[in-house]
Amino acid sequence: MHWDVAACTDKGLVRPINEDSYRISPEENLFVLSDGLGGAAKGEVASAIAVEAVTASLRGNGSTGKPGRSAARAEVSDDTNSLVHAIELANRKIHEEAMRDPACRGMGATIVAMRICGRRLGLAHVGDSRAYLLRADALEQLTSDHSLVAEQVRHGLMTHQQAATSELQSVLTRALGMEETVEIDAAEIELFPGDSLLLCSDGLTRMVPEPEIEGILAQASDARMAAERLVHRANERGGHDNVTVIVIRGNERSGGWFAKLFPWGRSNLI
Amino acid sequence: MPLLIVKFEGSVLKKVRTNGGSITIGRLPDNAIAIDNLAVSNRHAQITSEQGHLVIKDLDSLNGTFVNNQRVKQTSLKDGDVVMVGKHSIYVETTDRGEVPISDAKQPAANAKQAPSVDETLVLDTETRRRMMQQIAATGERSQIAPSRLRVATLVRIKGPIEEAEYPLTGKLTVIGKSEMATVRISGWFKPKVAAQISRRDDGYYLGRGDKVPKVNGNPIWAPVLLADGDVIDVCGVQLKFTIKE
Repeated sequence: MHWDVAACTDKGLVRPINEDSYRISPEENLFVLSDGLGGAAKGEVASAIAVEAVTASLRGNGSTGKPGRSAARAEVSDDTNSLVHAIELANRKIHEEAMRDPACRGMGATIVAMRICGRRLGLAHVGDSRAYLLRADALEQLTSDHSLVAEQVRHGLMTHQQAATSELQSVLTRALGMEETVEIDAAEIELFPGDSLLLCSDGLTRMVPEPEIEGILAQASDARMAAERLVHRANERGGHDNVTVIVIRGNERSGGWFAKLFPWGRSNLI
Repeated sequence: MPLLIVKFEGSVLKKVRTNGGSITIGRLPDNAIAIDNLAVSNRHAQITSEQGHLVIKDLDSLNGTFVNNQRVKQTSLKDGDVVMVGKHSIYVETTDRGEVPISDAKQPAANAKQAPSVDETLVLDTETRRRMMQQIAATGERSQIAPSRLRVATLVRIKGPIEEAEYPLTGKLTVIGKSEMATVRISGWFKPKVAAQISRRDDGYYLGRGDKVPKVNGNPIWAPVLLADGDVIDVCGVQLKFTIKE
């Protein structure tokens, strides 16, 4: 499957600097996005370390048998386990840097990383940066936020709608760099022709309601247009935070007669 | 004009000016100070301005209203008082301090560092997280996927051209369709690759459309719906029962 990829980032209308970072590695089909936390502390340093460490670890492909690596998870593939391991490394690097440099004390970052291997999408994340899937023009959040309000939703104490407007959205239960180790969520799904994917920082999801995100993704003619429109919309709605998006679109969205007759004809050329 | 500053875990969530009249505090969103936390009652307390001074009244809340750590039924508030409602604190300022930063005199020394504003993300430390997660886990048992329970959602075949009698919903997404990658594979001509899909969200399992509009208990589903134990799903001649087992 060929992927049309575009990213867009903006510091928004309120924040003085952009603390988000992202990296796209076409060779590895790797997409990483991180939102730096810590205000006065160096959030932008933390997010830059995060995306750099994850990318470098997976490019180095020497992700096996290193000390300090947690046990591999049986429920996901080796590729996705290496994604988890790369995030563990990133966590340690941010934590070490925060301990070493007093100006960076207390810095942290979220992360969401995606790797496409054939038809399989591997996904790992920490914090409230999200991954979404657009399939059959319907938007589905693939990640579960590590936030206090999401925890309350999971326990039936709050609805998704209440969480989306809660003042406690910015209270996270996990982030990179805060401690020596961090719990990382990992998942895999099968991709279908025509799927689109979105990685984003909370500067998008706190500003633009999901139905609007769905509409923009479904209607844009390519990834570049979708990415720019999403960021533009976040700013139109107030731009309270840095906003970063990575849009990944399968190229067989509206598949013509050829695609319908031979559904795997082109997607086998992954 | 008196100022009420709502804080949570050291973060300022909201500042409310009292212009005479009354201000309600509670969990429902229409309260002037709405606090969406289970420890807070729907209508928890009320603060009224009476002849220039503030009076707080507890509205028979479940967990009580505290002023300077004393449970109160009704009392007057003075400058510097701290009202506790659930885990939220409301700082009372009756003298105008202009734009001077909020006094942290009542906070323990550990919190004396500059309090972040609500827009700034706050990460809970391990101890606070553990405590809050326990509290959440203890109160929330209703959800289909509450992590404190071991529950397995399963699709049980009622009829239709599918292979298995039962499909446990283990993944984030379960696709029903003709595709070889579908979890519930439908065989036969003219069946769509993705007829419908079930996604596991924070609050439960949702059925959404694919290339077909499925039915739940006979009603067509245009937007994703939360499935309940026993719901019957119809799509492309396949009938499945959604069940949740403890």
